[in-house]
Amino acid sequence: MADLSPSGRFNPWPATIFVMLCVLAVLFLLPTIGVLLSSVKTTRDVAMGDLWSWPGSLYLGNFTEVLSNPAVHIYFVNTLLVTLPATAMSITLGALAGYVFAKLPFRGSNALFLVIVAGMFFPPQVILVPLFRLFNAMGLIDTLWPVIIVHSALGLPICALMMRNFFATVPNALREAAIMEGATEWQVLTRVVLPLSLPALAVLATLQFTWIWNDFLWPLIFTQSDDKRTIMIGIVNLKGQYSVAWGVQGALSLVASLPTLLVFLFFQRFFIKGMTMGAVKG
Amino acid sequence: MAQLGLNNLHKSYGAVQVIKGLNLEIGDGEFVVFVGPSGCGKSTTLRMIAGLEDVTLGAISLDGQDVTRLRPADRGIAMVFQSYALFPHMTVAENIGFGLKLQKTDRATIEARVGAVAETLHLTPLLARYPRELSGGQRQRVAIGRAIIRDPKVFLFDEPLSNLDAALRVQMRLEIARLHQKLRATMVYVTHDQVEAMTLADRIVVFNEGHIEQVGTPMELYDHPANRFVAGFIGAPAMNFLSVKTTGAKAEIPGFGTVDLPDDKCAAKEIGIRPEHIALTQSAEASIRGEIELVERLGAETYGYVHVAGQPNNLTMRLSGDINLRPGAGVGLQPDWQRVHWFDKNGNVL
Repeated sequence: MADLSPSGRFNPWPATIFVMLCVLAVLFLLPTIGVLLSSVKTTRDVAMGDLWSWPGSLYLGNFTEVLSNPAVHIYFVNTLLVTLPATAMSITLGALAGYVFAKLPFRGSNALFLVIVAGMFFPPQVILVPLFRLFNAMGLIDTLWPVIIVHSALGLPICALMMRNFFATVPNALREAAIMEGATEWQVLTRVVLPLSLPALAVLATLQFTWIWNDFLWPLIFTQSDDKRTIMIGIVNLKGQYSVAWGVQGALSLVASLPTLLVFLFFQRFFIKGMTMGAVKG
Repeated sequence: MAQLGLNNLHKSYGAVQVIKGLNLEIGDGEFVVFVGPSGCGKSTTLRMIAGLEDVTLGAISLDGQDVTRLRPADRGIAMVFQSYALFPHMTVAENIGFGLKLQKTDRATIEARVGAVAETLHLTPLLARYPRELSGGQRQRVAIGRAIIRDPKVFLFDEPLSNLDAALRVQMRLEIARLHQKLRATMVYVTHDQVEAMTLADRIVVFNEGHIEQVGTPMELYDHPANRFVAGFIGAPAMNFLSVKTTGAKAEIPGFGTVDLPDDKCAAKEIGIRPEHIALTQSAEASIRGEIELVERLGAETYGYVHVAGQPNNLTMRLSGDINLRPGAGVGLQPDWQRVHWFDKNGNVL
């Protein structure tokens, strides 16, 4: 906020920055507010150009329509069928890879790690056509499998990177102590290292779930029939025959963002530091 | 209980040789302490015995059986780490019982044995706590508890007390000594603290640059060091070293004048005198004179640092606690020539 310097002169920068941040925050929130407003208005109201006004009465018909639509149920189920296995798969593979790179380095492991992490920097559009042809040749187009496989693979670099960096902070003495007690590497990972890595797992689970749940591109490319579409494509599919159904789409957008919100709320209690406190000296 | 043997043990990291052929026999129930300066290879040797480091060449035997390539857990060896290495997400009871749980021991047995170990180490009221809720000494006791519950043949301690404060270190040292008396187990203990080494050890192994300089009981090493390194490393404050110039049967020591050389010391290049083997005399009559530069009072004893003309380093003297000395005072010195150590040009004792 406005701040008086010791000499008593007015310093305009804190106030300026504060105002700019407020403007930015409003700009970021506007689309969400627009969706929220449109979801509680009739399509006619919105079509009349009355999107931004405060609704006179709360119209919940859009939500009823969305929630009672059998196609929306299928979109939800499909999205869950993609998101849960792909999230689990990418985190599992990432944790295994991260453990090896952090605790069991071998000749060339650093180079291999760089190669894996480099996967993060490929834009998906580059591999889109080859992947389509590959899955087409395998007869998997218009199933959920390509979406699951691609998301598992694309999630691996960030998962491996995050897990490796987190595992690196777990003291080596803990692994050695467990090995002296008779633990195998698998037991070291599952009984000692992973239980200490819940914060990293929670962050990754939230990130991956949100990213896969909200993805539009891959389901659009790999699925065709309506009963294989996921929720984000479902929102587009809900457009009216002659006009855009703003209210219904707004309602579905809000409903579709609820699971990611719930996942965040569920995992945020693991976003804590200090799990390794007391392990070693100090 | 077991005999431990190291036979021509080598360890290299790439081209760098860190352990250069160790041979050592450790008897059943013996308490052996590895000492040496940082980087001398004592911890690496301990980790090779544990199985945490591969052996490049040579063999480790336990009760006559070669265990060089055995997995750590199959050797029947337990280790207490410098950093305690307690599992932070497990309670004290779970930490101590972890090894038994991995062996799929039934719960009742684990509980009974954890209870017995906790009793021995006075940990019973703390069993439900997590490591972060314990003090340093308590954590170290849990680490020891985790080691003794599996009834290992050999205990390895890797500088277990170096993270504790001075008072706690003395207390834990006594507890470890008591534990050894009670269990009569073979123990190998690594430390750079020579007080720990002197007080705990049946035998001390002095390491330097990847090889063993000398093995012996604490008093053997103190009274009869094999070379200059051991003489300088064992004993606090450290031994005084003075260079010697020999001519015939006479030895000239700067500041000390000329002394008669004992028959077998003709090759002497240096002498070593322990701080307690130099006595103070009246300055006027003494043949060796110096000036007190610094006085350190420890209560029971006093260390005097004396400058003698011609000597590059101050001489350290161990004196009685109530002695009245001031910096700058002139003093006379009388070394106990019977207890002086003579070293040749290679640093070996003559």
